[in-house]
Amino acid sequence: MNWQVAYALENFSKTHRTASAQHLRDDAIRITIPDRADVVAIISAAYRINEELVKQYHGNFPDMNFLCGYRKACVWEGAAINYLEINTIGWGSAGTLDSAIDKDNVNTASHKDYFFSYRLIKQIRSITNLDREFDRVFTMTLASGRTLRVGMIMEYEPTADAIRTFWDQFGPIDIAWNINPNGHPTRNAIEAARNLGCEVIKWDELKVLLQSR
Amino acid sequence: MGRVKSAATEPLMTACEVAHHLLKSCESLREFKSFMFGSSLIGVGTDFDILVVGPSGKPLSRLKAELRLAGKELPLDVLHMLPMEAEETRFVTKTGCITLEQLAKSEAAPPCHTNG
Repeated sequence: MNWQVAYALENFSKTHRTASAQHLRDDAIRITIPDRADVVAIISAAYRINEELVKQYHGNFPDMNFLCGYRKACVWEGAAINYLEINTIGWGSAGTLDSAIDKDNVNTASHKDYFFSYRLIKQIRSITNLDREFDRVFTMTLASGRTLRVGMIMEYEPTADAIRTFWDQFGPIDIAWNINPNGHPTRNAIEAARNLGCEVIKWDELKVLLQSR
Repeated sequence: MGRVKSAATEPLMTACEVAHHLLKSCESLREFKSFMFGSSLIGVGTDFDILVVGPSGKPLSRLKAELRLAGKELPLDVLHMLPMEAEETRFVTKTGCITLEQLAKSEAAPPCHTNG
């Protein structure tokens, strides 16, 4: 059994009272919930999940319901997300899987860290085109024709290192949107962003920006 | 990586064992203040939250590389803060961080729980 599967099973037994989980084979577990169909979830240790990896998993487990990127640092590419959503396979962190089991929406769940923020963006009428490059990066075109590349920063207290690491990992962005409603970027984070050529903002500021351009 | 490599066949590491493992494996931690915080301290949660406070630049790059190797088969979530940021946010006090050294020393005694 892989290490991440062992951690996922251990965590599952502590978190869920009525549901139970067991190792199926390789990275897969089967979750049994009373009066519901079994769930097959893949627990991946990948640092980065791309379309090729997703297709491999899907080929090995055609009946998979959910793909879990177990590492907190796991990054999902847009094409992988697209493939999963087209095939009605849920995706996200271990926390996303936990919530999806509780809400009985395993097949349609998406990464809980970004779900609400991205849905909010999808509802904005002044955005004429939206391209999700990664789970946390999208490019939006506004009605004015202006295009902005946005990074969603989940941390409670975004730090200078969080901003620099994000930039190094995903490339230049125009906006670092701190999507955690309780988050407060540090002064160093704001300065680091400014030095890189972007700004760290919260939803209220982003809303104004979307309305004004 | 000792017990980490065979996590699936042996009991999973406790928070204290993770602290001990990181201190032993990551030489660069000497240049930083290091802590654990969050739900893993009480034996729940899906990962071990680690805070490192210290310089940025090369020392941080070295530390990240060491942590990545040490955490190859561990669910680690590492947060770095400059000393100024730690002071500004009062993160250590606010979130009840415990130093890795303190945790490693208490390996044989409670509170030491398996992460889950």
